[in-house]
This record gives sequence, structure tokens and C-alpha cells, in this order.
Amino acid sequence: MSSSIGEKCTQIKQEYDGCFNSWYSEKFLKGDATPKCDDLFFKYKECLLKTLEEKKLDTLLADARKDNPFPNSASSSASSAGSSSESSK
Amino acid sequence: MVKFYQHTSSFEHAWDNVTYAFWLRYPNPFASHVVGCDVVDRQVDPVTGVLRTTRLILKQGVLPRWGRGLIKNPDAYIIEESEVDPRTQTMVTRTKNLNHVRVMQVEETQTFTVHPENPKWTQVKTEARIISELKWGLTGRVEAFGINKFMDNSVKARKGMAHILERLRQNAALAA
Repeated sequence: MSSSIGEKCTQIKQEYDGCFNSWYSEKFLKGDATPKCDDLFFKYKECLLKTLEEKKLDTLLADARKDNPFPNSASSSASSAGSSSESSK
Repeated sequence: MVKFYQHTSSFEHAWDNVTYAFWLRYPNPFASHVVGCDVVDRQVDPVTGVLRTTRLILKQGVLPRWGRGLIKNPDAYIIEESEVDPRTQTMVTRTKNLNHVRVMQVEETQTFTVHPENPKWTQVKTEARIISELKWGLTGRVEAFGINKFMDNSVKARKGMAHILERLRQNAALAA
């Protein structure tokens, strides 16, 4: 599993990755989209957001995400994708 | 000036496995320049069932001699946005660099679908746009460099995916 850009987030990141990988292959691809890794993702993201601020990447990232990468997508939550992982409940 | 690139290839692996390998592709022996990869956002659309992910990737850059005067920090941050639709078996990924954009912006879109001729294979369509806003006659040179570098990287990225896919196949064989 890959490291986090923030060294101190790598451990929680890899825990989350492990959870996501099994969810993706065993649940999501088989038609069950019930979330499973939200708690880990929340902890990981808390750490990551601090890192992005420290490295001054937060505004760079926010600017880049202003353009909708999938303008033709059927994804209805596209416009709120930047807010948080709330809607994955 | 803008340069375009388009390419279609395939993996002799099922679509499910190819999309799974996409998440697992770092680290791999062909991507030693990738030092970090983070999930910035991820959610499943409750209506369409589409999984949308935003990742941030840090690559330690290797610059040509003429580029060293243009770029002080060779580290490149890449944003990768993707959608996986398990119902239509389509995965679309879009990546672009976040910094050094004045020197060169590379935007790549990849579409992974079930191979039209073999349902056990996966077809990958790659489209890229390389743009440089540099003046003084450098633009053409930068873009030519960009397209060559991009093609080199595409080959490496493919090898990396193939490596991960082979590992998944071996693991599956062991588990069976």
C-alpha cells in the first residue's frame, strides 16, 4: 500500500486502504454499496487535511477541483463532491 | 499550443480485477517516482450507485537539463478523479498536474470497459492533452518533451498495472 503525502498519516491511511480494498472487491463490485469504512476514512481525512494545510496544498487542490471532471456524468451529487464524505452515509 | 494523444489498449484480465488493480497500483516497481498517494474524497452516489474518488498523488520529478532553470521544485502533485459505475461496468479516470502548470499541463482521461470482443478482458482508452503556455519559442520544445515523457510514462503505468494484475491472479490461484 502506498504512503501518505503526510508521513504521520501513513499508518491510518493504510488501515483505511485495507478496509476500502476489501469493501471494493467483496461488496461494491458485487452490488452492495453499503459503506463500511467511514470511521477510518474520517480519522484519516482529519490527519490528511492538516497535512494539506501545512504543505499549502489546500488552496491548490480546491482550485483544481472547481472544474467538474465529469460534466456528462449521471452522478447527481457531482456539484457537492467537494464538501465532505457526508453523503456516503 | 496543445498536443493531443490517443491510444486504445487492453488487459487480458476481467474488468473487476483491472479496476481493483487501479486502486492498488502504487507502489509498484515501475513507479518508484511515486512517493505518496492520498484519498482526498470518496463517496457513492445514492441514486446512481457510482463511486466517485478524488486522490492526490505526489511524484518526485526528474527534469531534463533545460528544465532545471524553469522549475525550482521538481516535485509534482497530480490530482486524480475517477468514477466507477458497477452497473454499466465503466471506470473513467481523469488526472492532471496541479503545479508547474504554466510550464506544462498534462490532462489524461482513461476509460476502462469490458472488452467488446472478449468479456474476460478489459479495454482501456487513453486520451491526453498537453498544453504549455511558455513563450520565447520554448513551447514547442516543452510540448515535444511532454508528449515523449507522457508516452514513456504510459508504458511504465501499463507495466505497473500488469504487475499488480499478475500478483492478484497469483493470489487468487493460491486461495483457490
